[in-house]
Order: sequence, then C-alpha cells, then structure tokens
Amino acid sequence: MGISDYFKPVSSWSAEEVRTFLNEKGPEKYNLVDVRQPKEYGQSHLPGAQLIPLGELANRVKELDPNKPTIAY
Amino acid sequence: MGVRSRAAAAILSEAGFKKVYSMKGGINAWEGQVAEGVPEAGMAYFSSATQPEELLGLAWLLEDGSRKFYVEMASMLKDKEAVALFQELSKAEEKHQASLVNLYKELSGRPFDSEFPKNLFREEPSDERMEGGMHLREALQWAEKKAIKEILELSISLESNAYDLYLKMEHKMESLNAKKVFKVLSTEEKKHLERLASLLEKKL
Repeated sequence: MGISDYFKPVSSWSAEEVRTFLNEKGPEKYNLVDVRQPKEYGQSHLPGAQLIPLGELANRVKELDPNKPTIAY
Repeated sequence: MGVRSRAAAAILSEAGFKKVYSMKGGINAWEGQVAEGVPEAGMAYFSSATQPEELLGLAWLLEDGSRKFYVEMASMLKDKEAVALFQELSKAEEKHQASLVNLYKELSGRPFDSEFPKNLFREEPSDERMEGGMHLREALQWAEKKAIKEILELSISLESNAYDLYLKMEHKMESLNAKKVFKVLSTEEKKHLERLASLLEKKL
C-alpha cells in the first residue's frame, strides 16, 4: 500500500454555493463553523457563524450536531 | 486562504460527520475577493483500514514531512520569533519520530527492521507528505511567496491534523503503554498548536 491510499479528499463548496445554501435553509438546519482565530472572527465573519478555532476543534466537536450538514471556513 | 477550513473538514469527517464542506477561498472569497490556491490539503484519513503498526509507520512518515517543512521555514523566514518557533517545532517532531520508532519496536514483537517505516509502505520519494496528507513539495513551493501569516495558518493546519490523529490513536491502541505514548504526543501537539495560534494572533 502507498501512503496516498490512506487519504481521501474532503468536499468543498464555493462561496456562491455556500451563500445559496444559507439563503435556502434556516440556521437550525446546519452547522456553520469559523475555524480562524478570534481576532479574525472579530474583524468579520459570516452571519450566524460559530467560532471554534482550528486548534480547538478536535476537543470541541461535541458542540456540533454530526447529523446536520456542516460548513467550515 | 482556505487551508484551515480543509483541515477542519478532515477532522469533522473523521469524527463521523456525514456532510462536511470546506468553503473554497475562505472569508476572502465570501467577500468577493479572488481566492488563491493552497497546496492540496483536502485530505482525511481512512480511519477504518489501518492497523496499529501501519498507523505508527504512517505517523512517522507524516512527522518526517512536517519536520522537513519546519526546517525549511526556519531557514527561509526572517522574523526572529517565527524562526525560533519553527526550529523548536522541527526538533520536537524529531523526538516524536523517535517515540514512534520505540513504540513500533515494542509492539511489533519482531526484530526491528532498520528500513522502518519504508518496509510497511510503497512510498515514492517524490510523494513525501505532511500531516493531513499535504504534499511536502507543493507546500514548499507555495510557501516561497507567502507571508508569515499564511505560513502560520498552514502550520496550524498540520498540527491540528496531527493532534487529531494522536487523539484517535490513543483511543484505538490497546496497550497501555501505547496509549501513554499517544497521550504524550497529543499533549505536545496541542502545545505546538497553542504556540502557533498565539504567534498568528500577534501577527494579524
């Protein structure tokens, strides 16, 4: 087995796809997570986004509902 | 932009989230700015396939890729704080590699193969990877023209993937000593993350 066989790609959406999705669904239907630093979040963030800096994500996964579609940026 | 969101998507996918999307280009793209490409980082582990011995070998190879990246960053960057941190990180990854080798010796129960971990994988020399699956070569090319902020973002992504991997390995391993080793490794990666994050906050 080669090392690349251990990886699989993650899906991504363009900003436009995200915009359309957020416009169509109510905030109770998805998780929207901002994984940047607090200072960056403070400067600007997407409406309704929840701040979980990337370094804390592995410990704070439980704050999110795994059954809802989740968008990270 | 967008490298951290891909690392996040990988972590969430592995945690069992069914539908996970990273937003291409991050906040810049949202605000209508042109998104820049980042090294192919959109990778997650196949968590099911791997046996403990393979995981050890895989972790060793990924640590090796990350270590080489940090060595390059320490010699490329001018910022003194960043240089000191990257030097320290590269030394820490070297120690992690030694811990992984020792654990492999203990768990495999066979005479040690000095080719470890190459005896476990068919690895192309040009296919060196860092934590999270990113290609070392691509990351180094990308980093050449980048500001310290973006390099720190990429490093945070590497460390987050490493941290996530070691947390999982701690649970997956059955031997108490293996659990202990992975606990130490994950604790250290967490500290690295905190250091990188606070330097990034400072440079923003």
